[in-house]
Amino acid sequence: MERAPAILLVGLGGAGCAMVARLAPGLPADVQVLRVDTDARLVADGGPGAALQVGRAQTRGMGTGGEPALGAVAAEAEEAALRRAFTGVPLVVLVTGLGGGTGSGAASVVARLAAEAGATVLAFATMPFSHEGERRMRQANEGAVALGQKAHGLVFVHNDLLLQQVSTEAPLSESFAAADAWVGGALRALAAAFEPGALVPVDPAALRGILASPGSPTLFAYGVGAGPGAALQAARAAGSCPLAHAPGAVTKVAALFVAVAGGPALTSADAFEAVGAVRLRFGGETTTLLCARIDPALGDRVEVSVLGASLPAPKPAPKPKKGAKAVDAGQPLFGFATEETLRRGQFGGTPMTFIEGQDVDVPTYIRKAVRLPAG
Amino acid sequence: MKPPPPSLPSLIAVIDVGTHKTVALVGQLIDGKARMLSYSERRTDGVVKGTVTDLEKLQRCVHEVVNDVERGAGRALAEIYLSMSGPAAEGERVKGIISVPAADGRVTRQDLFDAVASAKRLEPPAGRATILYMRQPTILDNRPVVNPVGMTGRRLEVLFWRVTMDEANLRLRVGMVNAMSMMLRDFILASHAAACAVATEAEKQGGVLLIDMGAGTTDWILYYKEHILCAGSIPVGGEHITNDLSVGLRVSRETAEDLKQRFASAVHRDTDLNQTIWKDGDRGLGDQQFNRGTITKVSSLRYQETLDFVRKDVLRQLDQIFPDHPTKLDQHLLPSGVILTGGSANLQDAAEAVQLVLGLPARVGVPAFEVESFRKPEYAGVVGMMTAAITDAPPPRRRPTGFLATLRDLFRF
Repeated sequence: MERAPAILLVGLGGAGCAMVARLAPGLPADVQVLRVDTDARLVADGGPGAALQVGRAQTRGMGTGGEPALGAVAAEAEEAALRRAFTGVPLVVLVTGLGGGTGSGAASVVARLAAEAGATVLAFATMPFSHEGERRMRQANEGAVALGQKAHGLVFVHNDLLLQQVSTEAPLSESFAAADAWVGGALRALAAAFEPGALVPVDPAALRGILASPGSPTLFAYGVGAGPGAALQAARAAGSCPLAHAPGAVTKVAALFVAVAGGPALTSADAFEAVGAVRLRFGGETTTLLCARIDPALGDRVEVSVLGASLPAPKPAPKPKKGAKAVDAGQPLFGFATEETLRRGQFGGTPMTFIEGQDVDVPTYIRKAVRLPAG
Repeated sequence: MKPPPPSLPSLIAVIDVGTHKTVALVGQLIDGKARMLSYSERRTDGVVKGTVTDLEKLQRCVHEVVNDVERGAGRALAEIYLSMSGPAAEGERVKGIISVPAADGRVTRQDLFDAVASAKRLEPPAGRATILYMRQPTILDNRPVVNPVGMTGRRLEVLFWRVTMDEANLRLRVGMVNAMSMMLRDFILASHAAACAVATEAEKQGGVLLIDMGAGTTDWILYYKEHILCAGSIPVGGEHITNDLSVGLRVSRETAEDLKQRFASAVHRDTDLNQTIWKDGDRGLGDQQFNRGTITKVSSLRYQETLDFVRKDVLRQLDQIFPDHPTKLDQHLLPSGVILTGGSANLQDAAEAVQLVLGLPARVGVPAFEVESFRKPEYAGVVGMMTAAITDAPPPRRRPTGFLATLRDLFRF
């Protein structure tokens, strides 16, 4: 029987499949790709890796038309096939765009099935642009809450944030390239960590220990440096990675996974200097998992990827008393800050107020994609 | 017949419940003028973005304020006026049209009554109740007239600005006042009240836009030829500036509020980038350093965006009123420009931002009032409520007298 891959990269929905297709050519060999969508055309057009069309009975291959309930039903209908795909895979990286039907509805179902099959689930979810209107933002928030309860780690990529990364004259494709670089960096780092040949290998179970509690905010940062002092430069770049600076993102975490990759010239002193800088910025007092890898293709460049979660694994639930209502194991045991409350500050939890299709409780500078002066 | 017992002069009590603070004023009406008796102010609890989220907390807060002013005035209040603002209250223009029945086209009083009745016959939308009607110009054969009675014409139109409120919200407010064994005398539109305090008659006659930016909402009202032409509300206020700063600078709400008051501005200038400011100023433990440019960038973006929302809302409503001519917000329509009131009018360069966004001259409206501490733009609303209560509503009725009322006065201090 074929050996199960170390990492299964799942692209879910239109946005997820598109990102996976862009990432696929540069992926390490140990990463397999699965594209899941309701739209028959996207599944059939022969992109990378395996493809699975869900919801054939519900949507007849037409997509969900932005209806999350339909997306959820579609994924549940293909439960058996999805379970088969996840069997024996230690790590599932789920990439999806929230706001539409397939992503918002099916993401939590796919994450649940993968988690039940024994995989650690790390999800990257893009959030819609503020200009996409009330309904998509609401669906995205609902989808994010549901996904956060099922996935072990959940990293948000705000589309608004992508706009801030590039100059105003840059073509639209360039802003998406930033998101691709972040997720690609995470995949390469994770893939390399599990490879038997890594300098400092990491056991998938240990990674799971870091991400163990679904619902706790996940930190992810990625940075690249080149030339002399590349390692420290990359660590600093990771420290100022917009994903870690997004409003409401976690700033200090207890457990960290730091992966440093560089060309043959990377010295251990460099690598540990980078790790030290990352720890200074993000914490990681309880646990810091290290992973170092040499990749000749990188030349004089150094990549630093950081993954962490702020909360320790919750204590096992006390045995339910006789006659008491059984507690759903997937239910978070503590109230956690959702993406919505983090971005909206003190207005989190209040009904959203929409003017011209924008949630006006979200700071203006975020919606207008204005980069703030440093300091 | 026994002469009626000499009664005390009537009390006028107004309460302005805002998102940030609740203020009550009690005055005594002497010779048609109000004399201040007592006032009280407390931090509002249970209101977010102008919407009641926790009735019990709000009730406690209003109760405390009422107790304070009753103690100050030395008498129990029988009835109060309540302010009304924010998205709960919505305005629209209603029209009553009749063709003048007389053969010679002379308008009689009865014709005017008929036209008014036909305007008021229009039902408010389902689930909403009419709170007040505000008179707009009367139009006889497409000509605005002050008093049409006795003039000749064919078509008589009367116009009102009608304010409606969600029925659930109305019940909640009436219930809150009744629970304190008081009567709710009337609602006063907060933006109209602010205009009563800071805009002169000449300004209203010429045309003026008042923008009252409070903590939770921004209310605006436009006067043209002395009448209220239209009014509206944007559910964004000063709290949003604070929240943006707290998210953008990663500081607590309290710190953000403090930084806003000291360093924020409605206009961002590149020279702000060269200024470094300290949170506490003592450079001690826990003191933080910020670039002033970051603060002014965040605050000016939010402030100017909110003004832009107001601009679009005004234009949208003007388009409905004058569907034939595209209207512009210019000196022609509003020769008196813009008046800013509410707490956010204190923001540095607020008037300059109005000039930038709306292209109109602006000034900050400060109410003239006998108590020094009330001469600030954030008190324009409550001070104006006093004026509006006297001028808009008929003179207050005599307080209920008799055994029960005397007893109640004895036991409530």
